[in-house]
Amino acid sequence: MTTSTNLPGHPQVPNLAEVPGSILGRDSAVTKVLLRRSAAARRARYSTVKIWVGAICAGVVVIPVVLAGVLPLPDPIVGALSESSLPPFSAGHLLGTDPNGRDLLSRILHGGQTSLVIGFLAIFVSGLFGIVAGAAAGYFGGWVDTIISRLLEAQMALPLLLMLLLVVALFGPSIPVITLVIAFAQWPEPARITRALVLVEREKPYVAAARVLGLPKFSILSKHVVPNILQQVLVVVLLLLAQAVLLESALSFLGAGVQRPYPTWGGIISDGRELFVTGKPWLVTVPGVAIALLVVGVNLIGDGLRDRVRRAKGDRA
Amino acid sequence: MLKYVLKRVGQTILTAFLAVATVFVLLRMAPGDPAANYAPPNPSSEQLAAIREQFGLDQPIPLQFMTFLQHLFQGDVGSSFFFKRPALEVVMERLPYTITLAVASIVVTAVVAIPLGVWMARRSDTAPELGANIGTIAGQSMPDFWIGFVLLILFAVNLHWFAPSGFDSAASIILPTVTIAILQIALISRLVRREMVVNLASPYLTVARSRGVSERSLTWRYAFSNAALPVVTALGTRFAAMLNGVVIVEVVFNWPGVGELVVNALKQRDFPLIQATVLVTVLLALVVQLIVDLLYPLMDPRVRLGEASS
Repeated sequence: MTTSTNLPGHPQVPNLAEVPGSILGRDSAVTKVLLRRSAAARRARYSTVKIWVGAICAGVVVIPVVLAGVLPLPDPIVGALSESSLPPFSAGHLLGTDPNGRDLLSRILHGGQTSLVIGFLAIFVSGLFGIVAGAAAGYFGGWVDTIISRLLEAQMALPLLLMLLLVVALFGPSIPVITLVIAFAQWPEPARITRALVLVEREKPYVAAARVLGLPKFSILSKHVVPNILQQVLVVVLLLLAQAVLLESALSFLGAGVQRPYPTWGGIISDGRELFVTGKPWLVTVPGVAIALLVVGVNLIGDGLRDRVRRAKGDRA
Repeated sequence: MLKYVLKRVGQTILTAFLAVATVFVLLRMAPGDPAANYAPPNPSSEQLAAIREQFGLDQPIPLQFMTFLQHLFQGDVGSSFFFKRPALEVVMERLPYTITLAVASIVVTAVVAIPLGVWMARRSDTAPELGANIGTIAGQSMPDFWIGFVLLILFAVNLHWFAPSGFDSAASIILPTVTIAILQIALISRLVRREMVVNLASPYLTVARSRGVSERSLTWRYAFSNAALPVVTALGTRFAAMLNGVVIVEVVFNWPGVGELVVNALKQRDFPLIQATVLVTVLLALVVQLIVDLLYPLMDPRVRLGEASS
């Protein structure tokens, strides 16, 4: 680069702006419009677009769900049978009611609280466990790595959904059990990413320097290596939230969710499945839209953030 | 080569054993008495005990497991509590439906996702690509059972193009295939895009372009043949996962496959049937994985077996 010409040992570098024919000091042929159209600038813009679209999609779902207790909604569990199976946009029931006369909007928002609590708890547990296991495997290597890597491989070969259904049947469909089951399904992903990143990171000079200074292995790992890779791993963990919400709804759909009458998204769809044939499709379509909007939102935010982190780290792909 | 194959086959058998053993232990720990499901209404405790004895459930669990293993080596997984005939036979009847669905889905996925991914890579960072990108994100964000229901509502209930469920004709496979393929296309096309972007920007491609190789040939013959390895791996993994994982879609469409069978078997606590299903699907998935691994050296001369096994 021309800006780094004043190197020590080369004192007589001329000021390039004063050299005849130099392009420095003149208007560049690379105009601002061209710069804006460049691939790099577009990439930056598109990641912003993704993050914003994602934030809007997720916000449309999350904000009402969080406020469900405050909003003037009918009871989600006890309905009036006189108001059964109303279509959407009925008076007092924006999204209609189910055959028990329960308000669908209220059920979706209250159900969303359960789904979101499970989702956040699950990614907290799986993220924590995955990062600790992955970092240990990557940094210490040897038998630690062998055990953790074998566990990761073994889990891939298991029929996961079936196992999860079994465990829920075994311990009962309570929120802690479903949370742990989802966390168990998800820990390999952050573990694998963390391991891969730590493998690269531990070869860097600052780690060697820390080792030479006599820092204990554990504090090199926790205070120096992990903070440097945390950003990339957390994006992956955020993306897991989308998977957790989907998995929770799938489990509920197969009957291994939080028990009736308490609503969850998968449970509401499952309740509606026998009814869409009889001309009440909104009981299935509307709750699915809520799930899809939230998951699209989270995925877009995660994807946009990942683009940014990658660019900051100078990775091309 | 032979050593590598033997090692992989050994790993496969070990993993299958692990899966079956885990399921066996989990099943025995599960609450609820299977005998109660198969006894006459309001059974006496003698009747229940008789059924338990008939199913071998009165034995201690380690002994049950030993008996189970002994029979397993003779190719016998036991008789289904519900169907009253060998569980393996029941599973094998359902297996062709699941395999058909999985094959159809993976073919549709490959045919759509590869060109889509290549297109996205070539139009990288343009507005249409951003649209396709968001589209693939949406594709992997919808619950699969919900996609199934929406397709049913649209095409079966409203348009009457297809029968709403089950398997009556060859056309019945279309909706479940589309349901599965939407998610898979989203995942695979993004992988193809990622791989192709890297390869399209490589120096060897610039060299080839400077020698006048056509863009079409650059894309497919040069870049894609290098991107193909991870893509084939992913397709193999997805296919293997499908053999275990189309449970939900089968339930939605009442598709008479293994997934639907196992969900009912779980409800009825039909232990031998669950075990037979796990054994067969896990083995099948592992064999697919093994075949993909063994294809590596054929597909890519760079892959030496030493690297592949390390």
